[in-house]
Amino acid sequence: MKETIDRLRSEGSERIKAAGSESEVEAVRVALLGRKGEITSLLRGLKDVDPAERPAMGAELNRLKLDLGELLDSRQAEIGGTGGSSANLVGDLTLPGVPPAAAGTNHPLLTVLESICDIFYGMGFSRDDGPEVELDYYNFTALNFPDDHPARDIQDTFYIDPKVCLRTQTSPVQVRTMERNEPPLASIFPGRVYRNENADASHSSEFFQIEGLVVDKSISMADLKDTVDTFVRNFFGADEPTRFRPHFFPFTEPSVEVDMQCVVCRGSGCGVCGQTGWLEIMGAGMVHPNVFKAVGYPEDVYTGFAFGMGIDRIAMLKYGVGDIRLLYENDLRFLTQFRGVF
Amino acid sequence: MKISLDWLAEYVSWDDTPGELAAKLTSVGLNVEGLEEYRQTFPEVVIAHVVEREQHPDADRLSLCSVDDGTGEPVQVVCGAPNVREGLTVLFARVGAVLPGNFKIKKSKIRGVESFGMICSANELGLSSEAAGIMELATELAPGTPADELYGFSDTVLDIEVTPNRPDWLSHIGVAREVAAIYGTMVSMPPVWSFQPSSENLGFQIKIEDPDDCHRYGAFGASGVQIGPSPDWMQNRLRAIGSRPINNLVDITNYVMFELGQPMHAFDRAKLTGDTITIRAAEPGTLVTTLDEQERKLGKGTLLVCDGDGPIALAGVMGLANTEVTDSTTELILESAFFNPKLVRTASRGLGLVSESSYRFERGSDWDMVEKAALRALQLYHDLAGANILPAWADRQDPDRKAVQSIPLRLWQVNRVLGTSLTTDQVAQHLQSLGLKVQPMGNSGKGSRNAVDMMVRIPSFRRDLFQEIDLIEEIARSYGLDNLSGGSGFCGAGGGVRDQDDLMQRRMRHWFSDCGYHEMVTSSFLGSGDNERLGMSEEDPRSQTLAVINPHHGGDTQLRTTLLPSLMDVVRRNLNAGASTPVRLFQINRTFWPAGAKRTDYLQKDDLLLPEEPVFLQFAVAGWRRSGLDGIPSDLLEIKGSLESLGTHLRLSLELEAADSEIWLQAGSQWLIKDRNGKVVGSAGRVDPGVLDRFDIELPVAVAEINLSAADLTPEPMKFQPFTRFPAVRRDLSLLVPAETNWSSIRETVINSAGPLLEQVELFDIYRGKGVSEGKGAFGIRLKFRSQKGNLKGKTVDKAIVKILEGLSGRLNIEPRSQD
Ligand SMILES: [Zn+2]
Repeated sequence: MKETIDRLRSEGSERIKAAGSESEVEAVRVALLGRKGEITSLLRGLKDVDPAERPAMGAELNRLKLDLGELLDSRQAEIGGTGGSSANLVGDLTLPGVPPAAAGTNHPLLTVLESICDIFYGMGFSRDDGPEVELDYYNFTALNFPDDHPARDIQDTFYIDPKVCLRTQTSPVQVRTMERNEPPLASIFPGRVYRNENADASHSSEFFQIEGLVVDKSISMADLKDTVDTFVRNFFGADEPTRFRPHFFPFTEPSVEVDMQCVVCRGSGCGVCGQTGWLEIMGAGMVHPNVFKAVGYPEDVYTGFAFGMGIDRIAMLKYGVGDIRLLYENDLRFLTQFRGVF
Repeated sequence: MKISLDWLAEYVSWDDTPGELAAKLTSVGLNVEGLEEYRQTFPEVVIAHVVEREQHPDADRLSLCSVDDGTGEPVQVVCGAPNVREGLTVLFARVGAVLPGNFKIKKSKIRGVESFGMICSANELGLSSEAAGIMELATELAPGTPADELYGFSDTVLDIEVTPNRPDWLSHIGVAREVAAIYGTMVSMPPVWSFQPSSENLGFQIKIEDPDDCHRYGAFGASGVQIGPSPDWMQNRLRAIGSRPINNLVDITNYVMFELGQPMHAFDRAKLTGDTITIRAAEPGTLVTTLDEQERKLGKGTLLVCDGDGPIALAGVMGLANTEVTDSTTELILESAFFNPKLVRTASRGLGLVSESSYRFERGSDWDMVEKAALRALQLYHDLAGANILPAWADRQDPDRKAVQSIPLRLWQVNRVLGTSLTTDQVAQHLQSLGLKVQPMGNSGKGSRNAVDMMVRIPSFRRDLFQEIDLIEEIARSYGLDNLSGGSGFCGAGGGVRDQDDLMQRRMRHWFSDCGYHEMVTSSFLGSGDNERLGMSEEDPRSQTLAVINPHHGGDTQLRTTLLPSLMDVVRRNLNAGASTPVRLFQINRTFWPAGAKRTDYLQKDDLLLPEEPVFLQFAVAGWRRSGLDGIPSDLLEIKGSLESLGTHLRLSLELEAADSEIWLQAGSQWLIKDRNGKVVGSAGRVDPGVLDRFDIELPVAVAEINLSAADLTPEPMKFQPFTRFPAVRRDLSLLVPAETNWSSIRETVINSAGPLLEQVELFDIYRGKGVSEGKGAFGIRLKFRSQKGNLKGKTVDKAIVKILEGLSGRLNIEPRSQD
């Protein structure tokens, strides 16, 4: 039997090498390993072998069977078969797949909002919400907007009655949060805000903002700068230069606006950035002592910073959307483009 | 605010390109939003002499001229101006010149005569609105000299965003102060008139009824003024910053306003009556005609300047027509004042009239500038209008309101807020560079909490500086915000706490989008008539809406109490746009319920005025006509399936109960949604066809709305249960079910009859028709049995099946379908 095994090993490998097509390889496979193949019949004949030799022979035969099987597979792969046995083919594997469900979308505004929140959650911020129909007191007075001061002109406000308005900014949530909590505080306040103005390509009477607030015993402007830089690095990428410009907001002082190098022209000036090379992305500053006073914090104990940004503008920049109204039409030809965006 | 660099250079010097200057101004807070090259240039327009002038052969009013334009060849040109004559020196536009308004000069034929160019009027060159005739020059410059030598002007204009706290930047001198601080140079003030002492009297005294309304009022006089165009340099600068030159008298007050920031007003003295100028509040309802020829009705609190007869100006806003300076004016009274900013603002808002003057006054002007600016204007009246300045003037002031004060500053607070380690000397230098005067208090300079390290004196042009933090901002600007660094990281905030409602909403949003729904962001406002379209009765509490009282033009006013109208709008839009159906949509948004203000957690009692703002989840399947299992519309089954699956994925219990409760859902096709406590938190079903019709939607819409603020959204806690590894036994049954019997009762009966071994029961088919007796349905159900104790024997399962069939037969009259 030993000789037969040796002969089959050499002959078999020769025949496999000689096979020139998938069907020839298959024919050799049948002749050697098939139900009536030579190796199969040898295996059947094992029972007639001397019991002392039987285990060795059995092992030898099995090894031969495996080796030839491997040779057959690799020869088949060489010729260009599918790798599997053609007997297992079910049909046209290029037919369209069947998804478990149709692909929906999340709204790009909320996707952007969510990813911004995640960055701040990672930095240890909590989250608070406040009413959209807000007291004039929280929207303006407690935020150090003097009554009847031009600073109020910046924001055209929808009023429900003289004491109640639709919030023009997420900043009133700062005040509500401070009123209810003692520092240390680090929180973000995302949400919808309203401005009493006519809609055009860059203005909407409703839009989204996110506000952030940090208060503790020695929070400095340098901390604000670090926080903003960390955010920009995470959200826009590692290499985006930022600059701080002094600005004015009644509820922070010193106040700044933060610009990022224009993502379109990389600083050389283009239509998107009004030729300045910079894009304004947020307003920020150190919480004004008058705001601390309004929430009842003792004088000189705490310092803190606050920042706020418009989500719509950032989404438009990020995805190249030129008209803010597209964000509120909910047209599927718009929304479906955001499939898979997170 | 537009700043001309040509103009600015008169007061300060800097050694930098305009771009660099703009960048440095931006970095200290004067945000330069635009940098524009301003050019007034006239290519192909030259000085020329009219050598000959004849009548045009075919037109009485036209002249045929021969012009020497310096080329050596006389040029033939037709001219229509009445004042053209031989020997004039004129500005001549050659063929090829392009005049303002893109007016191209071409060779042309006018009434049969060829004309090669045009002799220009000042109007045609954009130099004046005068269109009377061609310009007559008195210049020695030779023919052919470009017109630019006389009238060319080029400038760089910065467009600066000025925040409301810095009215001092609404002038060239204010910007010059910042330039001087940046470059370490000096500001030089323009020349002003100096009075010789005199005992003469102006002829008017000033009366201020309430010193709170007007802190200072000065009146100055000039006689013998000659009205005419202002000089080119003044016109050029005004034009460069977008202000139209009118005549020397008007231009001078405008020029000084843009130069020094102080708005002033000139009256025609001949039109003033009496001997007193009175500043008083208007009687409400007074009618006046302002300089812009508008008749205006004054509201309460409008501050007036009056003469013997009555109002002559709306203080700080605009003069009145009755005392306007005109071509025949020879004597002026110049007003320079400090009006209460709030009053100017009230008047300007009330009248809907914002002027350059009111814009500055309402932001707060500079006390000292009241006098300085007037003297500057007088100097210009003298120099440019030949005026004789009256040696007497009247000045009524309340010196207590002069805005000069000293603010204590602590080094400790400076370094704490900025995260810096500045010394007393460094802080003092930063402040001094901005024109603030610093008096050190002789402390150690170590900066301790209670030590005032210096007193800082505030000049009158910085009315925005009141308290220590204002000075710290100035130090930050001067130090450079980009130099701040090395924050400690805000330690001690204790780490963030994730809000559970927010997490739950986030999971919902992702679950819906993963399942094929598209997320909407819709307006908080209802469209007009939306609630009527829903068929909402007046008794429905949701018909009570909040409304804004001052919507922008044409805007919607009512805040929504339900999300449905916004869905209808989005569905209609998308179906009309040919979206493929079904359209699956969802949103999580707030609604506003005015009646619901039952807050207990308020800190301000006015919080009771605020509405409840419940957050709703809404999802919908629109435009699907298909039928599903047993003929039920697929959209209804999908809404139900989505809700159940949502519950499973979020570990919530959301039960549906068939009931007709929602007015805008179709009867017999709707459910109530209950949370795990059995509380009704929403509804689901098919939108009523009448409602669809009123929203112009022709295809069905199935929708569910859940009040997330009312529902118990705590996820079912997860606790591991040991499971058995013994195999399950499956059995299928085919049942003949009478028409009236619903699946829910079958399921319940099966479970109750089967005993503890039944693990799962599923409906996999309903068949009606051939082979099934009329009125009945063949229900295919699959049962799964398992024992916790060992392998189930067939006989045990058989016994359970018998019990189930007995139960079904006994309680619901359901028999197994025979297998024939
Ligand atoms: Zn750009």
